[in-house]
Amino acid sequence: MPKVTFITQDKEAVVVDNVEGSLMEIAVDHGIEGIEGDCGGVCSCSTCHVLVAREWMDKVGQPEDIEKDTLEFNPDVTPRSRLCCQIELTKNLDGLVVEVPSTL
Amino acid sequence: MSELHDPFKEAKEKGPILVAEFQGEKIPMILKLKDIREATKDTETYSSDAPRRVPIPSEEDVRTVRQYPLEVDPPVHAEHRKIVEPFFLRPKLPEYEKKLNALIDRLIDEALERETLDVVHDFAIPLQSHALTYLLNVDEKEAELWIGWGIHVFKDGDGKSKGPFMEKYSEQMFLAAEKNPGEDFFSALNQAKFDGRKLTMEEKLGYANIAFAGGRDTIIHTAVNIVDYFAGSPKGLECVREHPQMVKTAAEEFFRVFIPLTHIGRVCPHDTNVHGHEVKAGGRVSLCWSSANRDPEVFKEPNEVKLDRKPNPHVAFGFGPHNCLGAHHARAIMRSLILKLAERVERIEVLRTIELVEHEKEYSRKVGYELLEAKFTAR
Ligand code: FES
Repeated sequence: MPKVTFITQDKEAVVVDNVEGSLMEIAVDHGIEGIEGDCGGVCSCSTCHVLVAREWMDKVGQPEDIEKDTLEFNPDVTPRSRLCCQIELTKNLDGLVVEVPSTL
Repeated sequence: MSELHDPFKEAKEKGPILVAEFQGEKIPMILKLKDIREATKDTETYSSDAPRRVPIPSEEDVRTVRQYPLEVDPPVHAEHRKIVEPFFLRPKLPEYEKKLNALIDRLIDEALERETLDVVHDFAIPLQSHALTYLLNVDEKEAELWIGWGIHVFKDGDGKSKGPFMEKYSEQMFLAAEKNPGEDFFSALNQAKFDGRKLTMEEKLGYANIAFAGGRDTIIHTAVNIVDYFAGSPKGLECVREHPQMVKTAAEEFFRVFIPLTHIGRVCPHDTNVHGHEVKAGGRVSLCWSSANRDPEVFKEPNEVKLDRKPNPHVAFGFGPHNCLGAHHARAIMRSLILKLAERVERIEVLRTIELVEHEKEYSRKVGYELLEAKFTAR
């Protein structure tokens, strides 16, 4: 099963191996600070904001309109921003690296 | 289940706003989700710096204080919000969750023991009042008094606002906490600093005012509407029982369709053209959350309840800097309620109801019930 690396707000790399499914749920289950997932993944709360590592942007792809509009909740959106409840970790994304943006 | 009624459906088909009259004031209601989200972010055009006038109809005759942090704009808004935020994050604590589950278990026990119950007064109001003691970290006994404030502090059944009484009570709580400080909401506000100084009593009362009034009718109606929904849809209850992980999407869907707060206001500090309607400086605009939550451009079959709806970018808790501080509390309560009902209740029968309808000139909207007599059958 795929693995994913979260770069935390303290710039530490947390590697989570052998997981699948919603990236938000993976992050919450592993206590990654700064990813809250308040709405449970329905794209309403925007508390699951991550920055996709540059080299992974193509593979992860761009957000759909619904996600884009919700993302704007965050004042600190960047072109690398995604709501990780909308990213499914599949074999295709094995090795994915995402950063948790630091809060202001 | 049949389609739910959307009182703003026709208006939305005609255009982005509905101009409605409230207490003689003509207010354009912004109806579409995207437009509302835009407006919440533009706090210079759509300001919240309007004491007692952010709610529509305004609350000028039911309270004397400005509500914090609701009725201030960024950037000071963030500082006000920070003062009370730790309390509103308490629903994430395991000890809070434990207490909440025990409370809901107790209320379900009582409901099952009775022949019938009024879900509003015998279930939802005690639920809201007791849960609030966990949020504010005060003695649970206080809930007994709050229960008497009814569904809505400012406009409950007997037509008399409990607003002045609530302000007096809050003042006494601040004074008592001054003498006997603890870890509660009142003590924290007594000690809090804003801009390097202590808060004035008026400011503290403003925080307490929204803590008591804001999450009250909203939680009560949502809980009652959920019970009512499951009475009409035993399949839904069964579905959650079989797939408890569905509780999160189910709760969000209930927040979307049952949002008790029809809308909230903003004030335009300058003359503003709101989607073709001129608002003079000082005039108000409505952000109509309940209409946005049924926007067909965003939600497929917007008037159907789909317990597994995803994505579901509703604005039941608002959007932007002022998004609802009580959202964690509401989510914790409703998720626990849904799971416990599924786990413990086989069937709910509704025997008698009195609907609570918001009647305005241009629309009527059912927000919940004044009474909902039901019978719960145990599994
Ligand atoms: S968890 Fe709420 S938007 Fe992702």
